[in-house]
Amino acid sequence: MKRVYLHPLPVRIWHWINAIGFIVLIITGAQIRFVDSMGLMSFETAVDIHSWFGFILIANYFIWLLYYLLTGKLFKIYIPPFWRPVEFIKNSIRQARYYGYGIMVGDKNPHHPTPDNKFNPLQQVSYLMIMGLLIPLQIITGLILWDPQFFSGLADIFGGIQIASLIHTALWIFFSAFIIVHFYLATLGHTPMAHIKAMFTGYEEEHEDH
Amino acid sequence: MRGIFIGGIVILCFLISYMIPLKDATSEDIKACLKCHEIKTLQKRLDTGESISLYIDGKRFEKSVHGAMGCSSCHPNINVRNHPKPRKITNKKEYIKEFSPNCINCHPKDVLMKPEVHGIVVKKGEIYCSECHGSHYIGSIKEWKNKATFNEYCMACHKFDMTKTLLSKEKISLKVNEQEIKKSVHGKFQCIVCHSDFSKVKHPIYNFKDKKQYRTEMTKICTKCHTDEKLKKNPTHYALTKTASCIECHGYHGVKPAKVVRALPENQYCLSCHSRAISMKFKNGETLSVQVKESEILNSAHKKLKCTECHRDFSTTKHPIRSFDSLNEYRAKAKDICNNCHQNAVNKYDISIHAASLKRGNKESPDCLKCHGYHNVSFITKDKMASSELCIRCHKESGKAFKESVHYEAVKQGKQNAPNCSSCHNFHDVLPVNVAKLDNSCIKCHKDVKTTHNKWLWNPPLRLTTFVDTHFNSTTCASCHTKAQKAIFLTLVDEAKNKPLQEDEIAKALNIDTKALKTKVDANADGKIEEKELWQFMSSIKEKTKVNLSGKINVLNSSDAHKIESKEKSIKDCASCHSPNAPMKSKFEINREGTKPLRFEVETKVLNSLYAIPNIKDFYVLGFTKIQILDVLFFLALIGGIAVPIGHITLRVLTAPIRRKRREGK
Repeated sequence: MKRVYLHPLPVRIWHWINAIGFIVLIITGAQIRFVDSMGLMSFETAVDIHSWFGFILIANYFIWLLYYLLTGKLFKIYIPPFWRPVEFIKNSIRQARYYGYGIMVGDKNPHHPTPDNKFNPLQQVSYLMIMGLLIPLQIITGLILWDPQFFSGLADIFGGIQIASLIHTALWIFFSAFIIVHFYLATLGHTPMAHIKAMFTGYEEEHEDH
Repeated sequence: MRGIFIGGIVILCFLISYMIPLKDATSEDIKACLKCHEIKTLQKRLDTGESISLYIDGKRFEKSVHGAMGCSSCHPNINVRNHPKPRKITNKKEYIKEFSPNCINCHPKDVLMKPEVHGIVVKKGEIYCSECHGSHYIGSIKEWKNKATFNEYCMACHKFDMTKTLLSKEKISLKVNEQEIKKSVHGKFQCIVCHSDFSKVKHPIYNFKDKKQYRTEMTKICTKCHTDEKLKKNPTHYALTKTASCIECHGYHGVKPAKVVRALPENQYCLSCHSRAISMKFKNGETLSVQVKESEILNSAHKKLKCTECHRDFSTTKHPIRSFDSLNEYRAKAKDICNNCHQNAVNKYDISIHAASLKRGNKESPDCLKCHGYHNVSFITKDKMASSELCIRCHKESGKAFKESVHYEAVKQGKQNAPNCSSCHNFHDVLPVNVAKLDNSCIKCHKDVKTTHNKWLWNPPLRLTTFVDTHFNSTTCASCHTKAQKAIFLTLVDEAKNKPLQEDEIAKALNIDTKALKTKVDANADGKIEEKELWQFMSSIKEKTKVNLSGKINVLNSSDAHKIESKEKSIKDCASCHSPNAPMKSKFEINREGTKPLRFEVETKVLNSLYAIPNIKDFYVLGFTKIQILDVLFFLALIGGIAVPIGHITLRVLTAPIRRKRREGK
């Protein structure tokens, strides 16, 4: 068994702030939306917490961005090898096949993470979409809803506040489902706690099961 | 002794003679009465101060038509022995009334009713027999008729207080003051000169509809002599005759020369006629008093003005004949008079909802005259409520609401900056409330309103005033500062011009008549726009032009907007709007230039429809306008998110033996 240092400290801090932030935002988002049927807190409190955490996550997003830009790992880790498309597609299918079939019959995980290539092809596509498109979209639409007057110019680009709200809500729905699946996938290490532990320690144990 | 006996017999006979009734002894009867009633000074003084002469000239009586009759024929209950003691008589008229029925004993009513006019007089009972015919010296009517002049003949009745009730129930007096006639320019005329349709044997009865018709008919009498040709010699006077009846200036019988001295000061010159109760007629039958009370002018803001400074077409030598279709047309032109000096105010008025409403034919809508009066133009009062009462006269509901507001409290306390109607709605350029931007009026006084709202109305972590603007842009002040029922008002906006679309513009775009627009919006004509109807309408207009719906929260009933509560009582609970169950109605408005918009009730669920995204793209109330279908998707996503791990774990559990075998195989 070898230990690979996959998650440097800034990434781990970013991840856990993000994790808490996401959960809080999803719950307060639900409270705001279902003010008539949910009684976790008042509407005002829900909005306040939602706004605070929104800004915390915006700052957090920039920590992530800055870290990956400064270390130059953004391209290596997040950008799929589009210059080898056939190989990438093959790898993606192999990874999907592993989660859908191989994992059941005891195949090894085809992907072996390294600090410069820690995501499997499916993760790579997913996280590129999330970090590169969905979170920025959620931030921008969130800002529009946070102060529609101040960000009216942005709202116009989107084609009105209703569309901004639609995007924000749709992403809230997506992230709500995603976070459940994400948590489940985190338990698919060689032990259920392996990946979770790694996200605390930074070290992923490379087991023969993988 | 013998002498005494004879004397006694004579006295006894005399006394007995008094006890035996003297039937058929007429002359004796009269003589007995006249014993006393021939005393010239005999009279009765009444409590009213009137006196009734009890003297009867026996010889004159004998010559009268009743001369052959005894006193008891008319006074059956009185004779020498049975003479009533002094009795109470209220007044002369009462006394006459009491005795007149005695005439009916010989002159039966049916006979008296035969001559038509006589019949009316008898029937009305305003005049009694003796008032016209006298009491004791009644001559032959035939002889009197022949001898009497026309004036004597007419005045015999018309000197009395008689009235005629017209069909309109108005009453006119038929009493004629003979002295007044004698002093008039017609003093030498006999009645029939003017009233040529009357004579001693002819007394037509006219049934006039009302006083106006009566005056018009009477005026025709004047024109028999004073023909148009003669009147035209004085064009000013001739013009007047076309707007007022002769009687209004010259009176009925006391006709005086109405010569106006040109040398009079101008206002006095005009008032020579206009101080009288003259009126002006319009083609549609309406009338307007053109009487001017000098006192009103002298107490008005225009007291130093000459008449011709306003009425520029008129002068001491010029009085144009003007003809108006209606009072409305006249008043519209009257505004031009004000415009001579008050151009700014008139220009502002012209763009007001009041001007538009008047133009559409709403007679109640104010113009210059309705608020400022004709000649009694008042000074601008410092009493804020007094000037507002003018508005409240029509806008009663709003006035009532205002009187329950914190603003009215300030007015009552005499606060300098307390608002009244014009503080928010302006004086002359009163605009429809949906376009008036009335919230700017609030900000005029409450200057630091953004800062004060920003103390609590902000989104962490930054206290931006733009967050206050967000709310100010999408809701009115009254929505939170009153307890009134709120509603969301949707309005069609031209996207290119970013301006509300007007009714005529919409109709033009749809190529329909403005009247058909209502049906186009509310296709099933149930007075409410269902979701389907709204989106169909939006789809059809979007095919023609680039439009969208703008939204704003406001009080449902605009009168309620006046009932502003104190700051402490204002709504600060965000969830009162930001909740799916917020008690707000929805309205769809179609703007109409210068007037109240066309309003429809709309199903509130239109705001929660997916179609709201492209159609109401810039209006959004967190919580209230949420798209319902997304809630369903959220729960489906949650179920899906949970189902994936459960499904995967299930498969892993089921396939665990395969893995075990494979491990063992190694």
